[in-house]
Amino acid sequence: MQIKINHINKMEGHAGFMASVLKGDVKSAKLEVKEGIRLIEGILIGRHYKDMPVIAQRICGICPVVHNLTAIKSIEKAMHVKVTNETKEMRKLLEWGQIIHSHALHLFFLSLADMLDIDNDLKLVEKYPEETKMAIKIREYGMEIVKNIGGRVIHPLTNEVGGFKKVPTHEEIENLIKQGEETLMIAQELGEFIAQFKFPEFERETEYVSLSNGKDYSIYEGDIISNKGLHISVEKFENNFHELQRPNEVIKRVETRNRNSYMVGAIARINNNPGKLTPKAEQYFESLGYKLPDFNPFHNVIYQMVEIICAIEKSIIILKSMIQMDLNNALTREYEIREGVGVAAVEAPRGTLYYHVDIDSKGYIKNANIITPTAQALTHLENDIAQYLVQVVDLPEDKRAQKLRGFIRAYDPCISCAVH
Amino acid sequence: MKNKNQEPVSSAVKPRIAIISLTSCEGCQFALLDLGEKFLEIVNKVEMIDWGMIEDEKDSGVALDIAIVEGTPITEQNISTLKKIRERSKMLVIIGNCAAMGGIPEIKNYQEGKNTIKHVYRYIQGIENTEIKEVDNFVKVDFVFPGCPINGEEFLKYFPELLAGKIPEIPDQPVCVECKARGNKCMLLEGKPCFGPMILGGCNAVCPTSRMMCQGCRGLRPKGNVKAMRATLKRMMSDEEFENITEIFGLRDDVEDREKLEMGNL
Repeated sequence: MQIKINHINKMEGHAGFMASVLKGDVKSAKLEVKEGIRLIEGILIGRHYKDMPVIAQRICGICPVVHNLTAIKSIEKAMHVKVTNETKEMRKLLEWGQIIHSHALHLFFLSLADMLDIDNDLKLVEKYPEETKMAIKIREYGMEIVKNIGGRVIHPLTNEVGGFKKVPTHEEIENLIKQGEETLMIAQELGEFIAQFKFPEFERETEYVSLSNGKDYSIYEGDIISNKGLHISVEKFENNFHELQRPNEVIKRVETRNRNSYMVGAIARINNNPGKLTPKAEQYFESLGYKLPDFNPFHNVIYQMVEIICAIEKSIIILKSMIQMDLNNALTREYEIREGVGVAAVEAPRGTLYYHVDIDSKGYIKNANIITPTAQALTHLENDIAQYLVQVVDLPEDKRAQKLRGFIRAYDPCISCAVH
Repeated sequence: MKNKNQEPVSSAVKPRIAIISLTSCEGCQFALLDLGEKFLEIVNKVEMIDWGMIEDEKDSGVALDIAIVEGTPITEQNISTLKKIRERSKMLVIIGNCAAMGGIPEIKNYQEGKNTIKHVYRYIQGIENTEIKEVDNFVKVDFVFPGCPINGEEFLKYFPELLAGKIPEIPDQPVCVECKARGNKCMLLEGKPCFGPMILGGCNAVCPTSRMMCQGCRGLRPKGNVKAMRATLKRMMSDEEFENITEIFGLRDDVEDREKLEMGNL
């Protein structure tokens, strides 16, 4: 039996699904990617390093912030540019803001309807108007952070190599703190609403990969770790993870040193950071009653809710510390253009984003490589879905397609990022 | 709603609108979603057809009043989607720099063209790798919301006119007008490069307000003077640097065309 879904909506980018099942055995299960190639790494070659964050962040309209941050961090590594603590804190704040608004969009507007067997978001909005307002308010807070710190929500402007072109005013920070404290309460309430729904049963053991700094719930700094004992510096990423392109495929998949598939994103970070959540997030996580390690990929959705609470708490801490800082220290400092190779990784909403750049002595890019979360998780998703298909194969065609789409969307794939 | 044979739109029913994405970051569609309640007000006044961001419904093929298109037509499928939506729409409106000017994918046209792919993929057979062309090379375009991404507020300003069947006109004024109104210090006066004077305003000068030079994502304004702009910038950047920056948002071909025109007018 051939199973084919032409297009999966409510997901960034263009992809369908195809599987072949013979007498109950799943022979193949594959995401059919239909995205055009933009050749971002290719067009960066020969260009000035200052163009890199501007161009690379345009890989994705949902998560431009993390592409901007990771591109800049890799260039700073290559040219040995040191930035101040103030700059680092503002960058972390940007990323927490990004995670808040991306997760709020995915969990409420892209995935929740699947969990409730609703086929159209307008129906979801009609049925749960109060909760919709909460999700919008949460999303707005994340966007407000990015707008105030980054200058614009989509394709931010202020962050650059060496620091920031502009810093927020005292008043803007105070307003964000106020909004953050209100949003934290809203998020806890929405969390309770989400927690009452039962997620489908499914389990397949996997390797979870994410950043960890050993201290707190880190998204901006740290080493690459996994639940299978991997612990390497970011510099060693490409020695341990291999990109491979299959003929006719435009996504370069990534496999582990043992040629296995693996998972990244909210569920990976939650699994890899036990005990490191912020207090309210930890409290919420415990109220869910899930035990780690948790190998149910549907839980990625509810772990995004946990991370939203964590991200709001983290953002308030940073904002409060910014009140005490002299933010002029975050303004771009002079630095020297130097030849070098730099790598960097930052936790994007969907998992670890990795950049590698090679710059010549005049500041022009010789080579660039970008490895996105969805490219890393694609094979894992297909392996999971091959097993999940057995559970749903006997359902009527429409129902089965709906279940499969919902399963795929729970991973929050971003095809635009994966192809770039 | 799903009836294919339904007559094309009469004034008694809500206008039918579709939003489609070609190859892009989809940021322009998010610029609309990010308007929140204000965008929902528009959605309530129209009938959204096959909106991929909120529903799983299949394409019903009904006639449309306005098709809104973002992205660059890169794959054969993109091009066929574009042509089909044009055929069934009274009006086709494009949103954003990719659709209007080729966007960042167009950079490859200025570089190694078809060979740029060799830096990215090992197996290039079977991968569609055409020259990048803007949407208006394939279909008639009735209106452009420029920018990377578009300015959501500008969309709210002009979309009602489009709904009424009129084609709005964006005033021919440079980015500088709004920049000044926001009280920004002029970067050019500080000796820092900025394309503001030759570029079409309407973005509320969002970049210079963040101390980022205008790189021209909204395109040349009708009366934008490239020669004068280059003369001003000469003290701040080389010709090569100027050309490189105009490549980012697909502005370089338009600048070259405008320069030829300005030469002809001498």
